[in-house]
Amino acid sequence: MPENDHYVIIGNGPAGNHAAATLRQKDKDAKITIISDECVPYYYKPRLTDFIAGEIAKEDLMVNFQDVKDIRIRCGQAVKRIDPDSKLLFLQHMEKIEFSKLIIASGSRARVLPTMSGYADHLKFVTSYTDVMEYKEEIRKAENFFIFGGDLVGFKFFKMLNSMDKTVTIMIDPDAFWPYRLTRDMLEQISENLLKFNTEIIVKDEVLSIDRQNGSYRVKTRKGIEKNVDMVLSFNGLNPNIEFAKGSGIDIDYGILVDEYLKTNVDGIYACGSCAQIYNQAIKSYTTSIGWPNAVVQGEVAALNLLGDHKIIESVGQKYFDLEGVKIKTTWWEDINEDNDA
Amino acid sequence: MKDINIVIEICGSAGEGTISAGEITSRFMSSQGFEIMSFDSYPAEIRGFGKCVAHTRISSRQIYSPGKLADVLIALNDKHAISQLSTLKENGILIYDSQPARPHKEDESVAGWAKPGMISYGIPLNMLAHKASGNARGMNMVALGALAALFYVDKSPFTDSIKTRYAKKKQIVIDSNVNSFLEGYNWTKENIKKIDPHSFKDITLPKPKEKLIINGNQLVARAALDADLSFYAGYPITPATKIMEILSRELPKHGGVLLQTEDEISAIGAVIGAGFGGKRAMTATSGPGFALMTEFTGLSVMAEVPAVIINSQRAGPSTGIPTKTEQSDFNSAVLGGTGDCPRIVLAPADTKSCYEATVLALYLAEKYQTLVVVLLDFFLSNSIRNINIPEKPSSEYLDANIAPDKNDFKDYQRYKITKNGISPRAIPGTPGGMFFSTGLEHDAYGRPNYSEAGHTAMTQKRFAKFNTVLTEAPAPEISANDRDEFDIGVISWGSSAGAAHEAVMSAQKEGINASSFSSMMLSPFPEKALIDFSDKCKKILIPELNFSGQFAGFATRILKRSVERLNFITGRPMASEDILQKMREM
Repeated sequence: MPENDHYVIIGNGPAGNHAAATLRQKDKDAKITIISDECVPYYYKPRLTDFIAGEIAKEDLMVNFQDVKDIRIRCGQAVKRIDPDSKLLFLQHMEKIEFSKLIIASGSRARVLPTMSGYADHLKFVTSYTDVMEYKEEIRKAENFFIFGGDLVGFKFFKMLNSMDKTVTIMIDPDAFWPYRLTRDMLEQISENLLKFNTEIIVKDEVLSIDRQNGSYRVKTRKGIEKNVDMVLSFNGLNPNIEFAKGSGIDIDYGILVDEYLKTNVDGIYACGSCAQIYNQAIKSYTTSIGWPNAVVQGEVAALNLLGDHKIIESVGQKYFDLEGVKIKTTWWEDINEDNDA
Repeated sequence: MKDINIVIEICGSAGEGTISAGEITSRFMSSQGFEIMSFDSYPAEIRGFGKCVAHTRISSRQIYSPGKLADVLIALNDKHAISQLSTLKENGILIYDSQPARPHKEDESVAGWAKPGMISYGIPLNMLAHKASGNARGMNMVALGALAALFYVDKSPFTDSIKTRYAKKKQIVIDSNVNSFLEGYNWTKENIKKIDPHSFKDITLPKPKEKLIINGNQLVARAALDADLSFYAGYPITPATKIMEILSRELPKHGGVLLQTEDEISAIGAVIGAGFGGKRAMTATSGPGFALMTEFTGLSVMAEVPAVIINSQRAGPSTGIPTKTEQSDFNSAVLGGTGDCPRIVLAPADTKSCYEATVLALYLAEKYQTLVVVLLDFFLSNSIRNINIPEKPSSEYLDANIAPDKNDFKDYQRYKITKNGISPRAIPGTPGGMFFSTGLEHDAYGRPNYSEAGHTAMTQKRFAKFNTVLTEAPAPEISANDRDEFDIGVISWGSSAGAAHEAVMSAQKEGINASSFSSMMLSPFPEKALIDFSDKCKKILIPELNFSGQFAGFATRILKRSVERLNFITGRPMASEDILQKMREM
């Protein structure tokens, strides 16, 4: 074991960075390492669409987070496996790292629905810096888009394309705002509100096939709609990034299961942010939080509890999300005043 | 068409094919019409497992310096590559072995040290090399295959370059290397999601003329042969040894003689002896060897015997750092030795001018009957460029001796006082041309003479040669010379001149009114041209690869004004980026 404690944080987003900063603030001597499979430093994911639209520069994506001092940030390095017994992390490039305590804040990645498997190769997912750098020129050049899904990022992306005078067809899926399923009334209200954008909206239908033809894509739906477009993008929510934790003995459902203190079932291992499912005493079940402010607070709380504190996590930030005029309460179990939030 | 300007570094351990991979990349890119400048660094020890780095800059435009930081680092050896990460750009690309033979302990993997913003591509170099050839030797070729796939480089001509490189080897060696390349190429195409912006796709340059891919040492040897060198004596020393190696093979084919002596003192002695006998002769050495030759250099000047010394500078003093570059022999070359000892010193600025300087050195030594020193350095000796095949020297450069005519033989004075300082030189054995020759001060017949008037006259005669030598040397290179005034003038010499020129071009694009001055001729120095240039400049910057600013001190004495200095002793070649930064701060 290392002479000083070695706190390792998997994930370089808001939860991971605020966890690291809190650890450093409380423990000046510990060795602290952030590991991220993305090559890029800490960045504002919500600003990616603004960057594609050309409204902000690449530099404006980066978070100037001065609090992560004397912390080693390992970027572009994927964790392949965790061995909690020997307190070892195995990285993809065959390096072993010893840790004293671990915080998993690995975030999430684009969710691929089982129904997409037949045409997933033709879908573009724009949920990370890497995705954006790969597709930004293609997006800027393309004229016709088919958006499939309709989560928060998807609608933001749609509005960005609309502002760029692109032609967009959007098919809204009730499962897109996963894990919250949109009701029929919600779907109808959303599509009605989108009409002002002079775009074609498809609801209560599903994609049957996507074929590549002469550099463009032909999308067919079950109800017989056919579209020729330059790009097909999927926005159907996110899935926790936790493959490396499978088989480690850490309890997992679709995310890493943690108690109200963000502690997993394994001593010394915590999880926070969108990769975690947090136990909620009020409903006796697990929930997943969304949004940057939640991630920040969870990172801080996970770090404090890892150091011996005993703080219960509470949801913060937006508890209602405006999905094209439809308010969706993500902490539906809480008794809160809608007017104070939004 | 977009420009290509990329620096690739391959880092491995000695014996891992690092230098070969760099050479193949350079040759391939040259064959595709790109400008290349490559530079290898390797350990001084002959045997062992030290760190090797093959550094190659590739550009679709003219380049003058090797580039300070790399865009791509290919790590063939994690231990060595970790320290090399410091020269990778903030957004650079790291290509590393993702499936090494053994797992890494913590912090022993280069991938673990990649900084945020760098892009890491893990390629199973070791595994694919074993798959291709049954052993790990092909890792370097797997890495090149991955590089080609990542950058959309056409694999077919690349494999042709590999075949050419190993053409003299057995077929199994060629096949193993090509197969390793293809394994890396195919695996990368199928498995790596490219996220960097570099691409050679759709870049087609005009079919290049036949080019030489050659380093400074090779060009010196080639120039010496083309300039009718008859005799070479030397003692091996890094970084000049290659000159001797080539000449040992080639000089006898041209009717010449090569003598490996027991040390550098003997080498210069033999060269002066051959020069005395009428043969074109030279030696090549480095700083420590040059120091040993110092006493004999005085004999060449005093006895007016042609001699050429190639001094490829290493980092010093003493035996110093044999495989690192430095420009710290300026003082010893230009000012070293005893007495008032005028000698000609040339410093080529780039690989191509190593040829020109060598031809000129042999010519000037013969014509002016004196010592000529050519100052190379480790970088110039070893950096590889693709250049047009140099034109062979015209006949006037091949027979420069001013021989006595029949009037001279009536009362032959080997050291006759003349206006230009050059006396008719009879080769020993010439009827009527007998003379004394000595390192002692002498009269016109060569007889020892210590008189006040005699020493004064002879010293003046030896210095008089300087008056005309300058007219035979290339004029100083001055950029934007049509302007009347510059905010900054950058004065440089030797291998730093390319970086200085490139920095000035970049500065001009940034709106800095700047110019560069460099002279191949260091002794005698074109002082008037330097003063004229200086008069146009509000500020002067002198970058050089030594600690004490040897040339800056020399120039200051001529200019009688203060100058900004920029000195590095990192062992790496001068970087245009550093000069540009200094210019911004001035």
